Amino acid sequence: MTREVLRLENVAKSFGNVQALRDVSLTVNAGEVLALLGDNGAGKSTLIKAISGLHGIDHGRMLMDGREVAIKTPRDAMDLGIETIHQDSSLAVDLSIARNLFLGREPVKASFLGPLAPLDLSQIMHQASELLRRVGIRKNLDADAPIRALSGGERQSIAISRAMHFFAKIIILDEPTNNLGVEETHGVLRFIKEVRDAGHSVIYITHNIHHVFQVADRIVIMRQGSVVADLAAGETDILQVESIITGADLSEIEMEARTM
Amino acid sequence: MNQSRWRALLRKPETSSFLILCLAIAFFALANDRFLSPLNLSNLLAFLPELGIIALGMTLLLTAGEFDLSVGAVFAFCPVISLLLMQHAGMDLGLALIIGFALTAAIGLANGLFVTKIGISSFLVTLAMLLLVRGSTLFATQGFPLASFSGDTFLRTLLAGSFYVGQVRLHASIIWFVVLAALAYYVLNYSKLGNWISAIGSNRNAAIARGVPADAVKIALFMVTSLLAALAGTISALRIASASPVAGDQYELEVIAMVVVGGTALTGGRGTIIGTIIGVFLLRIIRNGIVLVGVPGLAFNIFVGGLILVMLVVHSLLHKRSART
Repeated sequence: MTREVLRLENVAKSFGNVQALRDVSLTVNAGEVLALLGDNGAGKSTLIKAISGLHGIDHGRMLMDGREVAIKTPRDAMDLGIETIHQDSSLAVDLSIARNLFLGREPVKASFLGPLAPLDLSQIMHQASELLRRVGIRKNLDADAPIRALSGGERQSIAISRAMHFFAKIIILDEPTNNLGVEETHGVLRFIKEVRDAGHSVIYITHNIHHVFQVADRIVIMRQGSVVADLAAGETDILQVESIITGADLSEIEMEARTM
Repeated sequence: MNQSRWRALLRKPETSSFLILCLAIAFFALANDRFLSPLNLSNLLAFLPELGIIALGMTLLLTAGEFDLSVGAVFAFCPVISLLLMQHAGMDLGLALIIGFALTAAIGLANGLFVTKIGISSFLVTLAMLLLVRGSTLFATQGFPLASFSGDTFLRTLLAGSFYVGQVRLHASIIWFVVLAALAYYVLNYSKLGNWISAIGSNRNAAIARGVPADAVKIALFMVTSLLAALAGTISALRIASASPVAGDQYELEVIAMVVVGGTALTGGRGTIIGTIIGVFLLRIIRNGIVLVGVPGLAFNIFVGGLILVMLVVHSLLHKRSART
């Protein structure tokens, strides 16, 4: 029996005259990898930004575990258990691995000092080393090393492990394999499966349809700000998905006509 | 193990700055025995902390990825306004300074708001603010320096009192510098705020996505930088018992030079308070020493400029190497 984690109902968002999202409804179930596909400008990024709190929505409802929620800031999303890994920009490269893992959620001593409170550095280092060992990143990484010294794949693994560490219910990956080599890409895809097997839900945004079929359970396709298809990965194929993305599929056009 | 720790230490930007500082001190001490004389040290240490205090704020601001060109103008603005209030409105020193600092905080707030909320680069905003503040100060005084502060001796001792260590005369400003440097060091390296500052300068979007209030931090840093410049200006005016509308001219450039020579990145993300302290000493000592060894006064900027370039090349090489491993 599938359990719903996140449900969007009739979400709309416009920027000036541009209607970026129109009437988007979507559900994410527990422990599944949902691939979100669409051409450039289809509304994927806008949708992700709305879910992760980078901008609000104009209309519609968002429900988390069946309860209506308002996600207005990145902090709201994080507190609800939604962790977003933006394409090559979710880490501060000058900070150490350990400091990145806890950025925005730093364990402190004397917390009454607010932002001036001293970091609990031993706690940070200890937990970070533990985490690096647990997620099994092969190379022997020093938690004190700056992110700058890591390869692209290692950086993505760090970002994803951070999300897992904070028990995220939903991990959103925005083109996580951009700019990665073949070997590293396979590493990240393998990691996505592990994340799902550990019980997290994943929303996976990509342009690479081949990767989608390697990891996704469900495929949602957007075009011009609307969701135009919601398919089980096992019941479709690359050709069909590609034709829906580009808008060449007849049955899908009929479906759109019906909803109008 | 021990060797790799040495290598890590050598790679730190502060280390190369420190070695060059030691070389400079050794060279000047050998070249002219007056360099280490109590009189020269007194002169050096009277002036140095005033720039140093501004450099601390500038380091934090640069680490967050912004800078402030209006510090030199604010350095003159705060004491001039306070003194005018005392002379024309009959206020006592304490009240006049409170108003001076409040106006200064407003300048920092304005810088921060323009940069974060309207999204204009800090170069342009603070360049405009430099002209506005310097212009207002010049206009308010008609260009003339104002005569001595009077009254309230406690505040004056607190800000500009002096004492002797051996034969070297030190001012209260050195204590302010030490205390503020310790505070800035703690904030940048050990506090939650310091983690945020480095993260914002390194990757602002990532910091925001992690729930860090990036705009609020930047605005606060602009205010802190302005307030520190005002404090330095007030200390300076009290020390020489005069507030000049042209005081602090081009300090912004000297302070930024001190900070980057120390190893803080102009592009943000990497800041070092220790490096800044070294940079402050290095630039002041070179200015002082070059005159003592007989280089004509008009030529000393050649050496300062050359030194800044050399240090930046060293830091950039070290940084590249650390990224590759």
